[in-house]
Amino acid sequence: MFFLSLIEHTLRLPPHLLNLPLDQAIKGELETLFLDKVIANLGLCVSVYDIRNIDGGFIFPGDGASTFTVNFRLIMFRPFVGEVLSGEVEESDAKGLRLSLGFFKDITLPAHLLPNPSKFGEDGKWTWDFNGTELPIEKEDEIRFKVHSIRYPPIPVEQEKDAKPFAPMVITASIDFDGLGPISWWV
Amino acid sequence: MKILQTNAGALTNFEVLDFLRFRGASTDPTRVIANVAPSEFQVYDYLVQSAARNQTRESIDEFLTSCAKFDLAKAEKLNLINIRPSSAAEIDSIVENCEQRMGNEDEALVKMIIEMLPAPGKPEGIDEDPTEDVADQEAMEAVLPSSTKPGGTDEETVETVGDQDSVLTL
Repeated sequence: MFFLSLIEHTLRLPPHLLNLPLDQAIKGELETLFLDKVIANLGLCVSVYDIRNIDGGFIFPGDGASTFTVNFRLIMFRPFVGEVLSGEVEESDAKGLRLSLGFFKDITLPAHLLPNPSKFGEDGKWTWDFNGTELPIEKEDEIRFKVHSIRYPPIPVEQEKDAKPFAPMVITASIDFDGLGPISWWV
Repeated sequence: MKILQTNAGALTNFEVLDFLRFRGASTDPTRVIANVAPSEFQVYDYLVQSAARNQTRESIDEFLTSCAKFDLAKAEKLNLINIRPSSAAEIDSIVENCEQRMGNEDEALVKMIIEMLPAPGKPEGIDEDPTEDVADQEAMEAVLPSSTKPGGTDEETVETVGDQDSVLTL
């Protein structure tokens, strides 16, 4: 689920941070820049793990701030295809379910990746018809799902007013295997 | 920004949890003073209610040395540590071609997991004997008729964390 990524970035350190020790100031700037943001193909940045190297400190002419080239590692949330994760149901509608991990809420579970004879009831819940036994997916269940694919859609240039907020990283999940779905189905 | 190495190492949930704890994250109200951002807290809250909360570095090391004989891929070992399955059906979704590769040994693997990795029983990781954890969890579930999981908080507000604690100390 989590990986470390080594990044090099040229950072401009604003002059009002000159009173702080260098590593603290740089860490603060990196956190403002990267924390909770999605980097394409790397995933969602969770935390700055460590700073490996700080280089530079040049002041360009006409500027009051110093520029550093920093090598650092970030903890990225990037599940691999086929990884099994556990999350909760956030929304449930005719097209499928949306799951959430607390810190990441853009996990879609489309209807075709639910175990085969599933149907959508009028109360808004999906139910799996397993050899005659009806197994519903309740809203408070902890769901185990397998990651089917991850997409990083490009940033839209324009959006209509009521469109859903843009999701820079979308995970498609599947529960069409033994052992997946609400834990209560298998325990 | 230049990406030097996309993958400089995989981290188990336990390692990320440990890192956040080391920075000062915790579930009690002193968390507001800690040097941890709100988005990091959301990750911490998620990890604290997963199987990682009771794990220790030693238990994970032990588990890795013992499962060497099962010939599992690195990703499968990572999944097993993060999810901590407690039955053979759950292993099937984690290990590919389970029938072919392991056949009858999957029960042995499940038993080993239950022994070595502590059960995600109580909220504030008390590292006791894992079988004792499972027994306590069953006793608690018998007493509490509600469907709340022991130690699992779904909301991220500090108030509900407080409520959950008071329910469990009964």
